[in-house]
Amino acid sequence: MTAGRTFLVVDDSRLHHQMYRLIFSRPALAGSTLLHAYDGRDGYAQLLAHPELTMVFLDLNMPGMTGLEFLDRRRDERLHLQVPVVLVTTESSAEDEARGLAAGAAAYLRKPFTPEQLEALVVRMTQRASAAASGS
Amino acid sequence: MSAPDNPFASLMADYVGECLPLAEEVVERVIALERLWAAGAEWQETHAPLKGLLHTVKGNSAMMGLAPLQELAHVLEDLVGLLGGEAEGRRAGAALLVRGAGLLTDLIRGATAGPIPEIIPAEFAEEVRAFLQAEQGSREDSQVERRMQEQRQVDRRATRAVGEFGGDGTITTIRVDSHRLDALLEYLGEAMIAQASLRDAARPLLNRRRATDESAAIDQAILGLERTLKRLEGALMETRLLPVSTLFGRFTRQVRDLAHSEARQVRLEVAGGETRLDKTIIDRLGEPLVHLLTNAIVHGIETPEERAAVGKPVEAVISLRAVQRSDRVLLTVSDDGRGLDTDRILVRARALGLAPVSDSPSRAELLALAFLPGLSTAEKVSALSGRGVGLDVVAGSIRDLGGQVSVDSEPGRGTTFTLRLPLTVAVLRSLLVRVDGERYAVPLADVAETVRVGEQTLHQVARQGMMTWRDEIIPVLDGGEALAGARPASRPYCVVLRSSPRPRGLMVDAVLGHQEVVVKALDPTLGRPPAIAATTILGDGRVACILDTARLGEQLTRVA
Repeated sequence: MTAGRTFLVVDDSRLHHQMYRLIFSRPALAGSTLLHAYDGRDGYAQLLAHPELTMVFLDLNMPGMTGLEFLDRRRDERLHLQVPVVLVTTESSAEDEARGLAAGAAAYLRKPFTPEQLEALVVRMTQRASAAASGS
Repeated sequence: MSAPDNPFASLMADYVGECLPLAEEVVERVIALERLWAAGAEWQETHAPLKGLLHTVKGNSAMMGLAPLQELAHVLEDLVGLLGGEAEGRRAGAALLVRGAGLLTDLIRGATAGPIPEIIPAEFAEEVRAFLQAEQGSREDSQVERRMQEQRQVDRRATRAVGEFGGDGTITTIRVDSHRLDALLEYLGEAMIAQASLRDAARPLLNRRRATDESAAIDQAILGLERTLKRLEGALMETRLLPVSTLFGRFTRQVRDLAHSEARQVRLEVAGGETRLDKTIIDRLGEPLVHLLTNAIVHGIETPEERAAVGKPVEAVISLRAVQRSDRVLLTVSDDGRGLDTDRILVRARALGLAPVSDSPSRAELLALAFLPGLSTAEKVSALSGRGVGLDVVAGSIRDLGGQVSVDSEPGRGTTFTLRLPLTVAVLRSLLVRVDGERYAVPLADVAETVRVGEQTLHQVARQGMMTWRDEIIPVLDGGEALAGARPASRPYCVVLRSSPRPRGLMVDAVLGHQEVVVKALDPTLGRPPAIAATTILGDGRVACILDTARLGEQLTRVA
């Protein structure tokens, strides 16, 4: 289903990158490519270099450049706005989630999430994207 | 999501690897903040990253299905908000935060061992919530607003500070399971042994056909292989080195807690945290260092009243230092307490039949007695170590790592323990010697000199061999007797060992030269033969024993 698709993970926690690797090695998402960025700045540079990205998973809380700063800057610079960004948050950040959506996040994913939840989100988002593409 | 069926259960070690340093950093930062307050300083950036640290631990714990840890990190995050507030509330809040972050550290450390206890963190979280509620009740809205403004300012400053270290985006660091490094080391050891066998096997060939093109090429190839293996060894050792700060990090809180429960005022000063040591050594140093720190607090440091009475600063200082000296690392644990009581040590040594060799022992000899079994067993069981242990146990664990421990102490001024440790435990520079046809490897770091001795320079004093060396009379042991229980024989060479408190000699038949040997641990089923630390395989495939020079010294001390 996702073969040939490329996803970018932006998170300062190496543990989380490993979790994404585990999830993307499961049958549902196998065959997709994962790109990794360990801070907001690097994530932004990778987004700049990869307009073909299927989706970005963006951690909210990172030192240097937070997820919200990432989204604000992308909106200001109108950088690859067609790439859906999923803001990854922790419970108790409802206000930030609202701000993220306002700043252009396509969805948010709350920790803790299960592999199934992430898979369902990817399916939903990619269907939405292809519907939008065929509709236009 | 319970831990066993967590989809990320296989990442538990990575979770601990990432979160433990974060939780330890929280403890250190809050303690640093308390010190700043005590010194009269105000709101500091030291605490700005606290929220981020706890937030990461919270998110990671949530993903791992460790709900009690998630909850604990969550309430601690709330507690951080208090630190910018009024003096009274913030001090109590900081104390609570240190306790909570300590609990968090312990629970994370235990996460790979089994299920996380739920009641302890839940009770603690409840205590924090009650505390926060009481605090919030006693607060004006305007103060809350001011605090939030300050928080925002600090957040902005912190953002700037961290933002300066951006990279070029390439990954320059990877994490590797340490077992893989152990395996690499094992293979390297085998390659080095194979190289040595090749060299030994080729030697007759090279000697017979002198300087033909063929033999020169073989010679070149063997030398090239040796050089490459040496470089590989160096590079591999380098990857196994970790800064000792990874070890020191956990002591700040332990010292603070124990000092508190023992009613002592203690400041722990740490220096040289960037000094690097082999991971195996770091892993096994924790326990002996905790014992030394515990001893310092429980036995070394006086009560604040006692200190005031003798004109010392009420707050005692324990310092933990690391420094590298060529291929050894020196770790020192010093306190400015009352010092060791050498009179009492001598009385106990005599009572146990472990009297020193000479009638008027030097101070150094008396202090060395403290490491004998039964001499220093702590009388009081402490909360930190959980049991009373003696310095002999500490000395034993340091010896097992190929190190040595010595002590210096001055009455009323304090005590310093010095641990001399090898950088690595896997490859040892050694002096090969022969005794009764067997070859032994003596750690080169312990060898002061090798001398050829005539019969006339050896003397027997009370069944103990003695020899003059550099204007000093030193005891000597017969190699055959000490190492294999054989009968003493006349042997032409003496290896002078740099042992504490004074040098000792070991008589051997021949000195075969320097060689790097790969250390192989003794098979545990063999027990612990006297004076042998480990074994190695030499170039001809035969096994040789590596001497435990410190325990050779021990035998001598017992001869009275």
